Amino acid sequence: MSQEPSTNAPSRGARAAVFAQLTGAGRSEQVAQRLTDAILLGVLAPGDRLPSEAELAKRFGVALVTARDGLGAVRDAGLVETRRGREGGSFVLAAEQTPEKLLQARLRGLSQVEIADLAVYFGTLAAGCAERAAELASADEAERLTAWLQDADFGSARDSGRNAGGFYLEIAVVSQSPRLVREQIRLQAEFGPMLWLCLTDPAMRARVYAQNQRTAGAIAAHDAAGARASVRAQISDLSAWLLAAKERLEQGEAADG
Amino acid sequence: MAENHSADPVQSRVRDCAAAIGALFNGVFGTLDHWRNQVEASTAWGAGDVDPAVYAMVEPELTAADPLLIGAGFIAAPGVVRGKGLHFAWWLGPLEDNPILGTTTEPSQLDLASREYADYLRDLSALEWYRVPEATGARHITGPYVDHLCTCDYILTLTAPVVVGGSMAGVVGADVLVRRLERDALPLMRAVGVPTALVSAAGRVVVSTDPQLPVGTLVDAGQASGSAVACPGTNLKVMAPTAR
Repeated sequence: MSQEPSTNAPSRGARAAVFAQLTGAGRSEQVAQRLTDAILLGVLAPGDRLPSEAELAKRFGVALVTARDGLGAVRDAGLVETRRGREGGSFVLAAEQTPEKLLQARLRGLSQVEIADLAVYFGTLAAGCAERAAELASADEAERLTAWLQDADFGSARDSGRNAGGFYLEIAVVSQSPRLVREQIRLQAEFGPMLWLCLTDPAMRARVYAQNQRTAGAIAAHDAAGARASVRAQISDLSAWLLAAKERLEQGEAADG
Repeated sequence: MAENHSADPVQSRVRDCAAAIGALFNGVFGTLDHWRNQVEASTAWGAGDVDPAVYAMVEPELTAADPLLIGAGFIAAPGVVRGKGLHFAWWLGPLEDNPILGTTTEPSQLDLASREYADYLRDLSALEWYRVPEATGARHITGPYVDHLCTCDYILTLTAPVVVGGSMAGVVGADVLVRRLERDALPLMRAVGVPTALVSAAGRVVVSTDPQLPVGTLVDAGQASGSAVACPGTNLKVMAPTAR
């Protein structure tokens, strides 16, 4: 195996992660959520054919009926269509045409308190990492972080999601704490796509990038309070965006109903 | 500071300590030299699958009783083995509670495809353990740092360049867990009799008997050069309070 520099296409790794084994309760919901997140962030692109139900069941480690239910929910949300015949299968529909459906599918299952608590949890971890990184960054590490961010692509939802997550992982690495790094990896695997949902919005992409530049600058200047403040401002924005999207969605639904 | 260093017993013990720690690392570099010679002499790897030969080479070091090395292998330069990127013929020794691999009893090969969270790294050859030996043509110690690609732990990475036909063909390398190194280094440092710290070239504390200088902290450059003794053959230093 070899690692090639990232291009526009998501790596095999990102795709492999979409179909990694599931554990815990509510597995058909988890199947639906995993597929929805992947479509939303473009890891699964419009026109891509999903694995068959039997293959999905095998890769997620769930029963065939569970995979079928999960896929059905994604189809009901209008994210994929299933065609019959020799060239048949389930295909990802163009995401640009259905942003509201994507949001609905993802936000419907989350309560306000879950969203708020996720933001508190991620914000506490990320702000702590940033504070520690500002105290401990060597000149080399600060320079490398700044250079990496300089060239990081925040142009599309998919690239900016990957890079926004990568930025926080790099900061955890600079904090010199293996525990913080492990927790960042775990948290992003579980909630990453959810956290970066706001990056479907171009204005938020520009905002997040500018905030990251301030954070990197504060870390390079050994300004722990500044790094912490900048991270907290970003997480507060992410949280407000998610809550506003959910509110819009539910008020819209009430009006429709 | 004392005028005559050689007459200062503390300074003399710091030098002994630095020499012993240097010898420890030179042991690992000796292993790397041996691997490099094997890789440079091999004709099999250039043609195709280098992995089995590299595994045969590193496996004994990873499965020894209480191994010093937690990871080892050969990382081929872009384009040398299959594909355009770096090729990792790299194995991790038995692990405890790794976030990706769990607990393992046998060596496992690094599979970067399972590190999807590291997608954001655009160019692995820009990382210090590859970039420095490539630029200098010399062996190098990277870290201490949190390695989030392999062990997800605090480590030092030792690498040496492999050169075939005058051009860079990659690096051979080995990872050492800081907590494993601690067991070998601390007795040597305690023998100095005063608090000491082993620090990297960047001034990062690796192992310390000084509670004021915990592992991971940075020692400022002036402080480090004032009373530091280099560990021969490495870019590490042993720091002790200025002799009184």
